[in-house]
Amino acid sequence: MGATRILMVDDEEDLELLVRQRFRRRIRKGEYEFLFAHNGKEALEALEENPDIRLVLSDINMPVMDGLTLLGQLEETKPDVKAVIISAYGDMDNIRTAMNRGAFDFVTKPVDFNDLQITIEKTLKHINALEQALKNRDRLVAIRRELDVAKQVQLSGVPAELPVGEAFGVHAIMNPAKEIGGDFYDFFELDEHRLGLVIADVSDKGVPAALFTMITRALLKSSSRRHDSPSRCLHEVNEFICQDNDACMFVTVFYGVLDLRDGSFRYSNGGHNPPRHLTADGAVSELPLTGDFALGIADGHDFGENAVTVVPGDALFLYTDGITEACNHQLDEYGEDRLDGVLGGDAPMGARELAESVVDSVERFADGATQFDDITCLSLRLRLLSGGAGTDGSQ
Amino acid sequence: MTSKTQLTIRTEQDEKAVILCLVGRVDGTNASVLDEAVRDKIDAGQPALLFDFEDLEYISSAGLRVLLLAARRMQAAKGKTLFCGLSEQIAEVFRVSGFDHILPVFGTRSEALATV
Repeated sequence: MGATRILMVDDEEDLELLVRQRFRRRIRKGEYEFLFAHNGKEALEALEENPDIRLVLSDINMPVMDGLTLLGQLEETKPDVKAVIISAYGDMDNIRTAMNRGAFDFVTKPVDFNDLQITIEKTLKHINALEQALKNRDRLVAIRRELDVAKQVQLSGVPAELPVGEAFGVHAIMNPAKEIGGDFYDFFELDEHRLGLVIADVSDKGVPAALFTMITRALLKSSSRRHDSPSRCLHEVNEFICQDNDACMFVTVFYGVLDLRDGSFRYSNGGHNPPRHLTADGAVSELPLTGDFALGIADGHDFGENAVTVVPGDALFLYTDGITEACNHQLDEYGEDRLDGVLGGDAPMGARELAESVVDSVERFADGATQFDDITCLSLRLRLLSGGAGTDGSQ
Repeated sequence: MTSKTQLTIRTEQDEKAVILCLVGRVDGTNASVLDEAVRDKIDAGQPALLFDFEDLEYISSAGLRVLLLAARRMQAAKGKTLFCGLSEQIAEVFRVSGFDHILPVFGTRSEALATV
């Protein structure tokens, strides 16, 4: 660290000599460097030229611009410069005025250089603490900004608009927790007959999770264009994210492809909560696991695949554990039974109403308790197959 | 409500392994506490690390990540990481996420320690 530069403002030339003499050791050691001005105006000019000066030692009675006027100017234009007043012992009125104008401290003339030394050190300590606090504040502002970016990334991690089709209704809800989480869903039309449904949950929160989310979504989307088989796609994404995954981040991913020609739904489940299959008679069943695990844990794994048949009137409900693990004030969990209760029986036919009824039910249960995890779900109701066979009565 | 979920980590030293008993819940708010405790144990050079989940009520994916990190670090140090005492709920979390394929899970402490 270089010398601390201190500006001494006094019209008495002797003081300059005295200061240089008394502080010669510290000046020689490179701890202090003194600059001198002879009135307030010169002092302001010196500060203008040397913006690194934070400490001013100033007399009160000086020609051209006195010390009190200088203090007023400093307070207005250089709030990070601290001033110590040096004035005659009998000049208490002026010293009081100076303190009221923001002087940090004062020493009296004739100057006791020991006291001046202590005052300088004390003031420098204060200045450093202040600067540190400002730096911390700036860092905090930077972090906040980064978090805002991450939130944007997270929100851009889901499709802005879901397609509307005659053959199906689809709706998704994502209520992020206060901290940036790593849930995402995706829905895309692979071609005119096949729909891709994705739901996923990254193991961490914050900026790294948001980026991991974005990468996973992009990889899966690109993989889905190259391979028809969901298990093949998860395999490919897993191989990719297992490379250099020192942070051990992992993501649970469910990916299924619904064929609108025959209602077949082929899926692979990489460690995600099993989605639900709702049949027109009000029954709810879990889509059986495929014996796989979360992506990013281990490479070289061949993912399994299952298939179910969805008929017009049936619905699929994909969700993340933010739903089932939502807690009320007593820390009871919402749980799968409540979820299946809402999904079963006479659950709403519309995909939107179905998703909303679940999220409403979770919110009623939590009753305002802190939401620790993202709440995300995707619902799809099949209306008719491309072959033309529709449901009777349902929309 | 406090912002951190309650978790107590009780350590027991067995001649074959250090045993970490987790009491309470692990989620995103306190996963870093667990991570630090585990790191300390691994840095101290333990041949085996046994997690006893007898009194663990809940673990979120952020907590699972800490376990995975622990297992990786132990592996790098040629040590073993074992798990026992999983409640039905936590066994379900292990099953759904597929962690039971990756991590060695045992019914009881003695079953786990017998493999060290």
